[in-house]
Amino acid sequence: MAHLTPERLIDIAEGVVAEKDAPHLASCAQCAQQLTDLRAMLAEIGADDVPEPSPLALNQLSARVRDAVAEESVRRRSWRERLSQPWILVPSFAGALAVALLAVLLLPRQAPAPAAPVPSTSIVQTTTMPVAGDRASLPAPEPSLPPLGVASDPQLGLVADVGTTLDWDEMRDEIALDVPGTSSDAVVGALTADEQRELQRLLADEMAQPGVPENRS
Amino acid sequence: MAATLVWALPMPAVKAGEVTLEQLDEQQLVAACLAGRPGAFDVVVDRHRRSVYQLCYRFVGNHEDASDLSQDVFLRAYRGLKSFRGGSSLSTWLYRIGVNVCLNRVAVKRPVTEAIDARPHVDTQHESQVDRVLREERGVQVRAAIAQLPPKQRATLVLRMYQDLSHEEIAQVLGSSVGAVKANFFHALGNLKKILGTEGDLA
Repeated sequence: MAHLTPERLIDIAEGVVAEKDAPHLASCAQCAQQLTDLRAMLAEIGADDVPEPSPLALNQLSARVRDAVAEESVRRRSWRERLSQPWILVPSFAGALAVALLAVLLLPRQAPAPAAPVPSTSIVQTTTMPVAGDRASLPAPEPSLPPLGVASDPQLGLVADVGTTLDWDEMRDEIALDVPGTSSDAVVGALTADEQRELQRLLADEMAQPGVPENRS
Repeated sequence: MAATLVWALPMPAVKAGEVTLEQLDEQQLVAACLAGRPGAFDVVVDRHRRSVYQLCYRFVGNHEDASDLSQDVFLRAYRGLKSFRGGSSLSTWLYRIGVNVCLNRVAVKRPVTEAIDARPHVDTQHESQVDRVLREERGVQVRAAIAQLPPKQRATLVLRMYQDLSHEEIAQVLGSSVGAVKANFFHALGNLKKILGTEGDLA
């Protein structure tokens, strides 16, 4: 004898299906008991009313949402305005360039030397205290590297400042970048014709400055 | 995109013959929001704030958290309005955001449930003081028991019992089938009976 399914019992308990349409109930005490329990719980929960928020609380909610939306709009507008001016990209590119340069210059010096197999005799040598006349035989100490940190380099500070205010999701929305095709070409492609001309002019000015090697091809 | 710029601006006076925002139906209102019509999103909030607030209250059990969560729901809706396709009603979409926000919240932080709610709409004139206290105490027990249900069962029960959504609507909100919703509801009621029965035995 197949019992009533949960779905069927719910339909009967809620009155969607009439009891007479489920003759199984008359012959199955287990299903009949389940139905009774369901109805009792529905009645119990139904007696617990949803608290009605006061009009004042709802008006406060509307005001809070309005403020939050306004704040969001200002934040987005701020980014849109900043991105609409090509010169804002120059310090970002400069910062990124500086980081890349630092990485190229510093990383090889900080990278540990490949571990060479240490002969067992070297243990004896290193544990032997050097005498006064042996100083020349000691290995020269490694030159200490300057500490790498924001405080020690204003350029890194600039990059850190830019990094803390950048929101990638917003950037992507604002300049309509597609993630798979993200590239500098896409960024430039997202600029308007006027913005591209302005960017081109700025770059030309930069290249024309003394000290910038001219690329003759 | 331009819509985000102007929602915060004050509403201009309505010109003669122009349809007011309050007169717009749901689809038109969403279109008005996306077109950047000032005040359009305020109307969305005004229309749905009560139901969203009550949904949140049912999950967290206190007014302060319910208010915070409701604000979060509307802010997420504002951010994601571009992705609203109109495949379901706006209220269903808001409920979906609301359930996600609430379940995330209760998973992180167990809210403090207020002992007794102010329910001015309940007719207490024909109810004795003792009956009222007993009813309110039982209500607290029921809410505490609901808070112990697994997330999907809890969401199903709240949407069905307190928000009066149909099983079909709940299926849309939760992204499941009607059969699964009914099964969840069945098990939620069964678990609730067990929890309340256990607490009754202990008391």
